[in-house]
Amino acid sequence: MKEDDDPALVRRCLGGDRHAFEGLVLRYQRPVFNVALRMLREPQDAMDVAQTTFMKAFEHLASYDPNHRFYSWIYRIAVNETLNALALRKPAAQISGEEPDESPGPERQLAGEQASQALEDALMRITPELRSVVILRHVMHLSYQDMADILQLPPKTVKSRLYSARQLLREQLLRCETA
Amino acid sequence: MDDTPHLALIHAEIDGELDARQRAELARQLLAEPQIRTEREDLRQLCAALDALPEVEPPAQLRASILAALPPSGIPRSRSGWSAPRWRYAALLAGVLGAGALVFETLDGTRPATTEAAGTMAAARVPVTLDTVRLNSGPVAGRVSLYRDSGGLGVVFALVAPAPVDVLITSGEHTLRINALGRTTGPGEPTTTVALRGFGTGTQAVTVTFLMDGRQVGSATLRSPDSR
Repeated sequence: MKEDDDPALVRRCLGGDRHAFEGLVLRYQRPVFNVALRMLREPQDAMDVAQTTFMKAFEHLASYDPNHRFYSWIYRIAVNETLNALALRKPAAQISGEEPDESPGPERQLAGEQASQALEDALMRITPELRSVVILRHVMHLSYQDMADILQLPPKTVKSRLYSARQLLREQLLRCETA
Repeated sequence: MDDTPHLALIHAEIDGELDARQRAELARQLLAEPQIRTEREDLRQLCAALDALPEVEPPAQLRASILAALPPSGIPRSRSGWSAPRWRYAALLAGVLGAGALVFETLDGTRPATTEAAGTMAAARVPVTLDTVRLNSGPVAGRVSLYRDSGGLGVVFALVAPAPVDVLITSGEHTLRINALGRTTGPGEPTTTVALRGFGTGTQAVTVTFLMDGRQVGSATLRSPDSR
């Protein structure tokens, strides 16, 4: 993260320099897209969320507090947008971390890509709130404090959710192995 | 969190957050309990696999589509600022307000004393879009926006659906029901503007629930910037 440069880019944006916003897009489109993709799994949905995220960032840039990290701010918008998108999905597509796995058979529990596929399947079965902490921690490699800032939760709650999420994922994968 | 202390130790170890005393305690438990060793190994492998999930390169057109969607004018200077033309939604909103949209409404529950449907001429009002949610999954597509003007809050719907959509707008104790929104055929997204006169100027969030044949098919929460 080149976070030291972000306040300068924001200042330029607010001063009317549209190219500065393009700099922010270039810098953050990849992580924002990946957060959305891991949360939603559908690339088109992730693109829509990424686009909406940057549009809202543009719209509300004047309200950004430069005392906080810009990436925390824009990731927060991205996470909220993914939760909005998930809320609009049909109930059948909703997920529960408590339900047993039914779809993948033992043949999917092989090494390499199939194991990765099983892990991604398991991620989609836990609740969005738990999934978001896993993604911020293990995909975006953020600290607990950054995650707390983004999710606007106490660090202790973030940690508790992450532990719960890992436990559920482990149980999901164990069920796959024994299915 | 799990109520077994050894699991908290294992998670903390994975995160590199054990102090010397905790590390010694975990080592003691690992030696004493094969099951704890298994759990630890499972969780370590899980976290390693999660850490190894590949980052995906965004589609090449993403940057262009983001930049193309930005308004041609500059960035708003403040939350309450407004510079026209702005969002494409905003232009759409102004057109709808200017034209005066007819809204067929019913109330679900107690009608707020001052709640009214939109459809008033609003040429003198300067609306500010507070939030927009795109509807891109489920049977209802399009977008819904929360705005504020001199008359208070309002919601603009631009919906496309295979059948008429009933909408519940709720915030706190207020509920407003709008029947039969959305175009089922033809190009474009028909728009409907609903003023939320009875919802109060301090409203922070509005929940919109979409119903088809009486069944919930989606929802969205619109927030004012003050609530974020």
